[in-house]
Amino acid sequence: MSEAGANHKFAFYLGCIAPNRYPGVESASIKAMKKLGVELVPLKGASCCPAPGAFGSIDLNVFYAMAARNLVLAEQMKMDIALVCNGCYKSIWEVNHKLKHNKDLRDAVNEVLKEVDMEYKGTINVYHTAELLYNDKFIGVDKIRDSVTNPLTGARIAVHYGCHLVKPHKDREFEKEVMLNTECPTWMEELVAALGATPVEYRNKMQCCGAGGGVRGYDIVHALDITNEKLINLKEEKVDALTDICPFCQLQFDRGQIEIQEKFGVTYNLPVLHFAELLGLAQGMSPQDLGLDLHGISCEPFLQKVL
Amino acid sequence: MAEKKKATTKKTPSKKEDSKKVAPVKQEVKKQVPAATPKAAPAKPAAAPAAVSSTTQQGDARIGVFICHCGTNIAGSMDIDAVQESSKSIPHVAYVDNYKYMCSMPGQTVIHKAIKDHKLTGVVVAACTPRLHEPTFRAATKDGGLNPFRFEMANIRDQNSWVHMHDRVGSTDKAIDAIKIAVAKAALLQDLYPKSVPVEKAAMVVGAGVAGMQASLDLAAAGIKTYLIEADTSIGGRMSQLDKTFPTLDCSQCILTPKMVDVGRDENIELYTYSEVHEVEGYIGNFDVTIRKKARGVMTPKEAEAKGIVGGGCNGCGDCETACPVVKPNMFEVGMKPRKAIYINHPQVVPLIYTIDFDSCVKCGICVTACGPEKRAIDLESKDEFIKVKVGTVILATGYDIFPIEKKEEWGYKRFENVITSLEFERLICASGPTGGHLVRPSDGQTPKRVAFVLCAGSRDNTGTGKPYCSRFCCMYSLKHAHQIIEKIPGCVPYLFYMDIRSFGKMYEEFYYRIQDEGAKFIRGRVANIMEDKATKNLHVMTDDTLLDRPIDMEVDMVVLASAVQPSADTNRTRKLFGVSCSMDGWLLEAHPKLNPCGTTTAGVFLAGVCQGPKDIPDTVASAEGAASAASIPIHKGEVELEPYFASCIEEKCAGCGMCVNLCPYSALSLVEKDGRTVMQVTEAKCKGCGTCGGFCPGGAIWMNHFTTPQIVAQIDAFLLGGEQ
Repeated sequence: MSEAGANHKFAFYLGCIAPNRYPGVESASIKAMKKLGVELVPLKGASCCPAPGAFGSIDLNVFYAMAARNLVLAEQMKMDIALVCNGCYKSIWEVNHKLKHNKDLRDAVNEVLKEVDMEYKGTINVYHTAELLYNDKFIGVDKIRDSVTNPLTGARIAVHYGCHLVKPHKDREFEKEVMLNTECPTWMEELVAALGATPVEYRNKMQCCGAGGGVRGYDIVHALDITNEKLINLKEEKVDALTDICPFCQLQFDRGQIEIQEKFGVTYNLPVLHFAELLGLAQGMSPQDLGLDLHGISCEPFLQKVL
Repeated sequence: MAEKKKATTKKTPSKKEDSKKVAPVKQEVKKQVPAATPKAAPAKPAAAPAAVSSTTQQGDARIGVFICHCGTNIAGSMDIDAVQESSKSIPHVAYVDNYKYMCSMPGQTVIHKAIKDHKLTGVVVAACTPRLHEPTFRAATKDGGLNPFRFEMANIRDQNSWVHMHDRVGSTDKAIDAIKIAVAKAALLQDLYPKSVPVEKAAMVVGAGVAGMQASLDLAAAGIKTYLIEADTSIGGRMSQLDKTFPTLDCSQCILTPKMVDVGRDENIELYTYSEVHEVEGYIGNFDVTIRKKARGVMTPKEAEAKGIVGGGCNGCGDCETACPVVKPNMFEVGMKPRKAIYINHPQVVPLIYTIDFDSCVKCGICVTACGPEKRAIDLESKDEFIKVKVGTVILATGYDIFPIEKKEEWGYKRFENVITSLEFERLICASGPTGGHLVRPSDGQTPKRVAFVLCAGSRDNTGTGKPYCSRFCCMYSLKHAHQIIEKIPGCVPYLFYMDIRSFGKMYEEFYYRIQDEGAKFIRGRVANIMEDKATKNLHVMTDDTLLDRPIDMEVDMVVLASAVQPSADTNRTRKLFGVSCSMDGWLLEAHPKLNPCGTTTAGVFLAGVCQGPKDIPDTVASAEGAASAASIPIHKGEVELEPYFASCIEEKCAGCGMCVNLCPYSALSLVEKDGRTVMQVTEAKCKGCGTCGGFCPGGAIWMNHFTTPQIVAQIDAFLLGGEQ
């Protein structure tokens, strides 16, 4: 796994929650992806994506301009963006897509960017790391399976896709057609299986985590109610862990369990791991390297099962 | 207004000078024309009078301009007096008049009177559109003693006053321009004579569902030999799969079977089942259609007799079916019942002739033995046959398929066993269906007690996955389904999840109230998601009740999806054979959505039933009768007049390159040998006068009647040079 083996380079856009709450997502992504021939180069000077619900609902101009600024930073690096969060994907991918296809909007955004001597040109693409992992043009399931040194055999793992990556369906253009399935996708289950674990289907898999769209900020009890419903459905399937590809969903399921315990008096203790963290584990990274001790809900029972 | 008048007066003086200068050039062009066209004539002698201009020449052209107010449709948006004043100064204009309704009888009288009084050689009516009143004004022109093709229309309503309703000055100027252009053409118009072609006294109907059957019966009753082509092995179409019909609740098969029998028995109907249209040539009155009769493996008594097997052929006894060892799903029962490789769709089929599904047949020969040495109906080596017939008119009645509703993944069709489509429901509730009319859950054979009906399943869907249109009969058949389960299963409750209930037909709204009174539950909300309970295989229907404004999660035993409909699989191929257009959603395009719903833009080809757009049975039958009536008119008339707009070849200029032959969308052109040269020849009856060839011809060797190059150039000059020629 030499560093010279990188076939693809991407500007790594971190977002807010991953570096602040789950630093393991950052380290796991960089290290695990390097082993798979993808180098993630830090996107220096990046700001908030900005959050699609919070900013998008209030002032679209600010939303477009901020996202465009992040895109320009990557354009200057002459690299496509890779990111680890569904919310970031919605903002940055969609704004990139809109600006590429709408000249009026592009001109308006460039008018704003001029103030900081920047110009959006539309020269790069935006990818979620999950997309890079699944698409064999970059990595693919087989390559992941081959990279596993510590198979997660025996672990029953459920998948939470998160809404913003796959929806709205008509605004998404994944190269892999199965990723366009919004109602009962199974491509993440393929990724989980590649790590040696057993993917588990559960009731209402595609339901929201409860946090997105500003719901968590606006009405925490309502948000937790949705999360609680998902946790009930997960508990029924006796899963060992839940995996996600969005730090905001992860926050809601992980810290949300503590809040649910406080507010509703229900305890689940379901470990929640970003897929990058699972991948790191399967490739032999230590739980400390992955910062799993920083999770709200202890990953210990799960780790005992797989390590 | 002041501004406008200034503009016109400014132009006027310069016009006359231009006219004098340019005129001689035009004369020259004009002389070429009659010289060239007769050369083309010998190839098609009948066309000669049409191609040769007898009298009108630009020099002595006297054009009358008639401006229509169309009530306030035109007069309300422009200054008619100013238009009239300006028109007077257009070259060749000998007379100008205006009238409130030019299309009225007094209006038409104004025209033919003026033709006589002012010795007019051409007529321009500035009014609506040729699509509406060209025939009217051509008749008025003829009444005045002129050839009807000496008439030209200036569209100052649809393309002017209606679109520039609030720009009085602009629309007045534009009307004057439109009249100048029309006058320029009118001054060069020639006498043309429509060509008559005889019409074959036979018709073809493609598709033998209720629409095709009705159309065929009507045509046959009118004494017209009718070829009825059906892709399936038996006739009856979708309607024969239904249990009951709304709102009368009569049994679909019971009312359809007599018609099926009539079709099978009618001497004027020649039925081709398990067949498709293979190739089409020709034009209205003379379509040469090749029918592909697919290898059926079983001979009718007639076919057997032709092969010298007297008293043989299939009599529908079914001995072969009993013997056949190959089992396949019966698609008439939507795959819910088995059939053999040799099969009939259902016991009442017309024609009662078995069919071998050669994709499944293992050619073991057991059926041949079972059929016996007397009938000898089975021929395992039978091949597709191609039969050529000549017909005058054609009706397309190709019907519909169910939209593959599994594409709407949120409802879980094909993932969850107890989610079925309405067509499957029809078969399950039908006494002759796979369960003998007992509605059961596919998962466990139990009788459901709570059944959800999802309406607008894939219809009225703007997500890009479903269809944007309303499928028009799902509301009503779902109401009928609700009635049927209330009637058949005591205590069973139907829940209808709807967006709107569209009960628009005769006695439909009353039927809706009746079903409400019977106890059906209505929940207004589009179903967002359906989930299966793994243990019980029950289903959770999730929606937002938009009347109570609250989310709903309802557990039911079974879900019926009222799936959208789409054009049947073979529609696109068939329509292309006949040159019929379709709209964006694939339904075949009628000539006019309101005033010519059965006709198409291809003369002699008509539409019946759902292939034109979703229709319930009454509308389908009405449309079929309309199509049959329309299709019988040219046949009864015995001949059709073709617009004399066809292209003709100026042979001395034609290099015989043949590029036009490939370009022609109507296959109207061909290359022939003449006096040792290769030249192009036009089959006038096929030519639609589209001008593709004329516009392309590198040698300028194609003369487009009624749209000649001099006429078009004069129109362009009239506009660019301010009305001067």
